[in-house]
Amino acid sequence: MLKLIQNEWMKLWSKKSSWIMMILLVIILFAGMGITKWVNTTMNEGIDERWEDRVTAELVNNQSMLSTPELSDAQREYYEQQLAIAEHRLENELPPYEYTSMQQQVLDSHLMLSLVTLFTVVVAAGIVASEFSQGTIKMLLTRPVKRWKILTSKYITSMIFGVLLAVITVAVTALAGLIFFGIGDGVFLRWDGSEVVEGSFWLQALKLAALSFASTWMIGTFAFMLGTVFRSSSLAIGLSIFLMFTGVQAVFLLSNYEIVKYYLFTHTDLTQYYTGTMLVPDITMTMSLIVLFVYFVIFMAISYWMFSKRDVTA
Amino acid sequence: MSEQPIVQIKNLSKTIGQKKIIKNLNLDLYKGQVTGFLGPNGAGKTTTIRMMVGLMRPTSGDVTIDGLSIQKDYEESIQKVGVIVENPEMYKYMSGYKNLLHFSRMHKGIAKQRIDEVVKQVGMQNRINEKVGSYSLGMRQRLGLAQALLHDPKFLILDEPTNGLDPAGIREFRMYLRKVASENGVAVFVSSHLLSEIELLCDRIAVIQNGELIDIKNVNDLHQSRYYIQAEPAELAEEVLTGIGFPVTRHEQGFLVDTESEHVPGAVNMLVNAGAKIYAVQPYRATLEDQFLEMTGGGQIAQAHTE
Repeated sequence: MLKLIQNEWMKLWSKKSSWIMMILLVIILFAGMGITKWVNTTMNEGIDERWEDRVTAELVNNQSMLSTPELSDAQREYYEQQLAIAEHRLENELPPYEYTSMQQQVLDSHLMLSLVTLFTVVVAAGIVASEFSQGTIKMLLTRPVKRWKILTSKYITSMIFGVLLAVITVAVTALAGLIFFGIGDGVFLRWDGSEVVEGSFWLQALKLAALSFASTWMIGTFAFMLGTVFRSSSLAIGLSIFLMFTGVQAVFLLSNYEIVKYYLFTHTDLTQYYTGTMLVPDITMTMSLIVLFVYFVIFMAISYWMFSKRDVTA
Repeated sequence: MSEQPIVQIKNLSKTIGQKKIIKNLNLDLYKGQVTGFLGPNGAGKTTTIRMMVGLMRPTSGDVTIDGLSIQKDYEESIQKVGVIVENPEMYKYMSGYKNLLHFSRMHKGIAKQRIDEVVKQVGMQNRINEKVGSYSLGMRQRLGLAQALLHDPKFLILDEPTNGLDPAGIREFRMYLRKVASENGVAVFVSSHLLSEIELLCDRIAVIQNGELIDIKNVNDLHQSRYYIQAEPAELAEEVLTGIGFPVTRHEQGFLVDTESEHVPGAVNMLVNAGAKIYAVQPYRATLEDQFLEMTGGGQIAQAHTE
């Protein structure tokens, strides 16, 4: 299996498109950081906001959120924690990171993972389909290797590509943040279950990135399935990206029905449990993980079944 | 042929929808022998070959390679097979060497040395590190052969291997194949609709039409000794020749006589003594094309009429 993955990895990086995607990602991250810097310096000229004012505003906001009646338990818990952290900051004079600091940029880097999703979709959709369109599938499947092993190596390879791009995203954000903004003052605080403690922003950033990656992983798996079933990468890429943009919108359309709880895109954003912006009130992390796993099993089952059984006529 | 066959096709059938593409095919292939697989377009050559290499699943029947079923023991049986299905499609964006490395990793125990060895065997040392996209069709065909030989197969199967090659390329390819069959003792199975090509390359020919195997012939049988004799008056000549005891058939303005060369001078003498005027005596070779058209009933045009 290792040799098969090695093969897929070699093919992947022999294609120019993979390098272009990676370089594009780095350029976009740097450019984005540059634009943020520029906007900040031109817009905020002369405005000198104290951090205490910001935290106080946050604190007030959290209090008002807590007084809304239709809050779910998870949301209530989240706002209570945020409130405790804000109070702790003011009491002990522990400022949060400035928006224009490397640390805050790293903490927000998971927001850029949609770009990683896009590129992972391109690779996952094409990794099987391109073998069919180039005709190389005949060479690949007349080897003493069972078809399911070949499919597995392709799936793992496209997911490793996704993970690599995600890691690059966090690393490049840190580098660009360092260059454009430098290390800012501040302390990262978190709720450890009973009290507010200092934490590592790196760990928090990686945790958020890993949770965001669930979405990349699911949409990538979906694209992989479409590429395997239709043997056309353009169709698979098109459909996956369409769903990536409209899928979350559909959550709001479905929100009045029970079925929304079993809908894939209600659950793909796992960071919702840590940022207080839950799409549907009464869902839990456990439930999301179960739903994602069921979808994953269905996507994979269809891919394997189609790939193993079908006659190759290309 | 007392020898154990390397490949056995047993009652192979394939039905797609309502249509029977392959009907109960049986064929044995032997070591060191090149067998041609001949048939008009759409006769089922490619489908048969795809079933033999596991790309398609037979509806019924089986193919065994060295006694192992391609369906039940896929990994072990296919290990013994080298395949070129139509034009060898390689990864164009990689070098020839990387392509071979890629395929070598899918077999057990192929050392890097073996890659170099095969590259040398097909004479590609100079360009193996260039991208396949820059290769000519002939070069690609050679690389295709290299990947098929990489794991030292006992059985080599080629589907329309000379498609699109120029005459020099075809000739070169034919030499390689012959060499592999005789030196490595490999059983070779080649499908083609190019009759002249098959005739030069193969020891044996299997003819398929409408999914049925209609004939298996040794190429040597095709070249049985025949002479064309033209003499006047025809009636007299026919009388004399049948009198000697030769099988005689009328052909154009003369006769075809099945005989060995040593009997020809005698026959000529007797004709002269009988007072016949001889205009031509020449060896006669029926081309494979004649035989093929005879066997398949004139190919697809005739077939269309009968349907």
